[in-house]
Amino acid sequence: MVDKQAFDCDFENKWCPGCGNFMILAAMKTALAGLDLAPENVLLVSGIGQAGKTPHFLKCNFFHGLHGRALPVATGAKIANHELTIIVNSGDGDCYGEGGNHFLSAIRRNIDITLLVHDNKVYGLTKGQSSPTSDRGFVTKMQRRGVLYEAFNPLAVALAMNAGFVARGYSGSKDNLVRTIQAAIRHKGFSLVDILHPCVSFNRINTHAWYKQRLVDLYDSDHDPADKQQAMVLAEQWEEQIPIGILYRNETTSFTDRIDHLKDGPLVNRAYDRQTVQTLLSGL
Amino acid sequence: MSIDTNILIGGAAGQGIQTVGDLLVGACRKTGLFVFAVNNYESRIRGGHSNVQIRVAGRPLKAPCRPINLMLAMTEETVGRHRQRMAPDGLIIVDDEKSMSEGNIYRIPITKTAEAAGGKIMANTVAAGACLALLGAPFELLTEALSIQFEKADPAIKEKNMVAAEKGYRAVKDIAFAGAFKWPIGKSAGRLMSGARSLALGAVAANVRVGAFYPMSPATGIMQQLSEISDTYPLVVEQAEDEIAAVNMAIGASFAGVRALTATSGGGFCLMTEGLGLAGITETPLVIIDSQRPGPATGLPTRTAQGDLLFVINASQDEFPRFVFAPRTLDEGYEIMLRAFDLADLYQVPVIILTDHYFNDLTTLTEGEFQAPEKVDRHIAFDKDLASPADAYLRYALTESGISTRTLPCAGKALVAVSGNEHAPDGHISEDKTNRVNMVDKRLGKLTAMTAEMQPPDTRYPESKTLLITWGSSAGAVEEAVERLQDDGLDIGCLTMADLWPFPQQHFADAVGSANTILTVESNATAQLGLLIRQQTGLSPTGAILKYDGRPLTAEDVIDGYHAFTGGDNG
Repeated sequence: MVDKQAFDCDFENKWCPGCGNFMILAAMKTALAGLDLAPENVLLVSGIGQAGKTPHFLKCNFFHGLHGRALPVATGAKIANHELTIIVNSGDGDCYGEGGNHFLSAIRRNIDITLLVHDNKVYGLTKGQSSPTSDRGFVTKMQRRGVLYEAFNPLAVALAMNAGFVARGYSGSKDNLVRTIQAAIRHKGFSLVDILHPCVSFNRINTHAWYKQRLVDLYDSDHDPADKQQAMVLAEQWEEQIPIGILYRNETTSFTDRIDHLKDGPLVNRAYDRQTVQTLLSGL
Repeated sequence: MSIDTNILIGGAAGQGIQTVGDLLVGACRKTGLFVFAVNNYESRIRGGHSNVQIRVAGRPLKAPCRPINLMLAMTEETVGRHRQRMAPDGLIIVDDEKSMSEGNIYRIPITKTAEAAGGKIMANTVAAGACLALLGAPFELLTEALSIQFEKADPAIKEKNMVAAEKGYRAVKDIAFAGAFKWPIGKSAGRLMSGARSLALGAVAANVRVGAFYPMSPATGIMQQLSEISDTYPLVVEQAEDEIAAVNMAIGASFAGVRALTATSGGGFCLMTEGLGLAGITETPLVIIDSQRPGPATGLPTRTAQGDLLFVINASQDEFPRFVFAPRTLDEGYEIMLRAFDLADLYQVPVIILTDHYFNDLTTLTEGEFQAPEKVDRHIAFDKDLASPADAYLRYALTESGISTRTLPCAGKALVAVSGNEHAPDGHISEDKTNRVNMVDKRLGKLTAMTAEMQPPDTRYPESKTLLITWGSSAGAVEEAVERLQDDGLDIGCLTMADLWPFPQQHFADAVGSANTILTVESNATAQLGLLIRQQTGLSPTGAILKYDGRPLTAEDVIDGYHAFTGGDNG
């Protein structure tokens, strides 16, 4: 069995004290150990933002790339080697703002990647501007009269696009989050876990206390993740109650399983085949 | 007299102009004649004006030419647009309601003849028949070419086209054309090839397994070729949601261990530049083809240019090493793809291949069959190859050469940590100033060895007092121009470059020798190679011959440009 301490890393953590990201990091380690995945068998891909730094704090293979572009890097890596276990750590700005197009396309591809969006509804690394998931009216140093438009609802969008795994977590509800992350990693196909978490530095509205009053654990309910209509109802709940857990799950063939050339093993294992290539060149 | 005939077939998009060209090229193929075909078309699917120019000769051809010997016009517009380019003894055939002739213009009912043969749609086949008859080709050659063209078609359709072609062939039998020639019998060693295909084949021979792209003329053809190859060959071509995704997918695939390619044009390359820098700082091998077209922004989507040279050399912020190559011929296009992937792997750097619309779209014969390399060396290590224990592996270990041992994620115990942030040898973010200097020096330290990889320019008559210097796809027209100017008794030579960056300063200085007049010849408006030469060597070119109307460079353009430069004074 892999111990969760196997993922401990002595690289200095640079998040603010009290940041919700610490809880997400802890949940990831527990989830990975619980799935018996060793550090050398995990690839984390991330973009830019506080969430993008996650791979530096969890011992494993990682590619920490550009703002908004984690999903394309992860997609390319998965096509090259579809046996990899790939988890993307992104934030609400990174994934839904800068990388919005890639988010939509990853859902359409049903690429077998687990996307963990650290969603604190505000930009942390650039010091407190609004994010795509900030609520209308949310006041920042830049949005001085409050955000003028509606918040992006990633879960509703994912459901509308027939994503096969749509879930929400909360950093402070560890057991629920671990269970969801494990299910997401096990899911064959694209899985989205939008993980709400407080930002102690820049979000004074959506605080831990604010969330605690509203969270509803779906694992304690009779919600059937196969029920898409009900999932959409849950996805639209916000002000009164906020459901956490798996909203919707429907496993279909993932992108790499649809490609015939990958049935004989990963492309990365395909050695140069001179004879086949010369036949191709000569057979024109 | 040696055969050298230039044929222009023009009409509206959707009239099957391309098919006429293919038939003609197919017929020439069977005879050992050399062909060089270029397409000119507007950015539209139907209507407008497009043409295909096919040059046929008894010797290898390197470029299109300006004078037209035979024009086959499916529309009046074709005549109006290209009439001024007719050779003195040239002939124009125009599709019209009824037959009549005036001077060198012959009007014949091509479309009506097609209707009589079974449908207007076969007007292009009638035209092909007429064209081959005028050129003096034996009738059997036409039927043979048609059989190949319609090999997979419904037999009834094939039969109708045979009838249409024959009607076209007979319709012009009484017209004498000075450019007709006796068709030889033979077979050339080369393969009929397009630029796009030569690049795609080079990529496959380099063991590329992933191609990621977003459609953009004129690069799409390369990926289409790869896609066709992937019908039977294990390779994945993925249409990304945008160019940013395309380049990042290629980087991800390369990081995971396969050779990956992306191709685009200048506009798409603009979107890829942050990704280019990511490949630079993460030292991830990457090959990007930038098939240039006139810009900026949308520019002229279906025309040609060489306006991105300085852009690709300098693209993305800050400084990191890269290679830039621009193939001069299709054979070189194939070879350069092999080199590009080898060098990308060896030095762990991005490599940019500069082609253009003209290069990608042209069709000609290669010098010979492409040869697959003996082996492909990936320069990838596994746990057993590492000098230190796997758990002490450092992706960015500082080394003399600047090259650190590269291993793959999840391929062993060694953990691969890669970051687009400035990083320490272990791949983790570092803002330490000493580390920053070490890392910049490590990356740029590869440049000495990279420069040594650069091959010298090709030269013709390098001892001449006047040298024309050019790069990439303009080389063919320049070489032909130099031969013709030499035939006229002028003291002129040329130097053509494919290896552009890191700039091969020593090779360049050696090749230029003691020439006293140096003109760069480029398809851009500011003589970018000239600027680069000045920056890199301190040598100031005397002038430049520039073409930036979006059309391919011809030897005539170069010769005219040279005479304009000298003002008729050829020393």
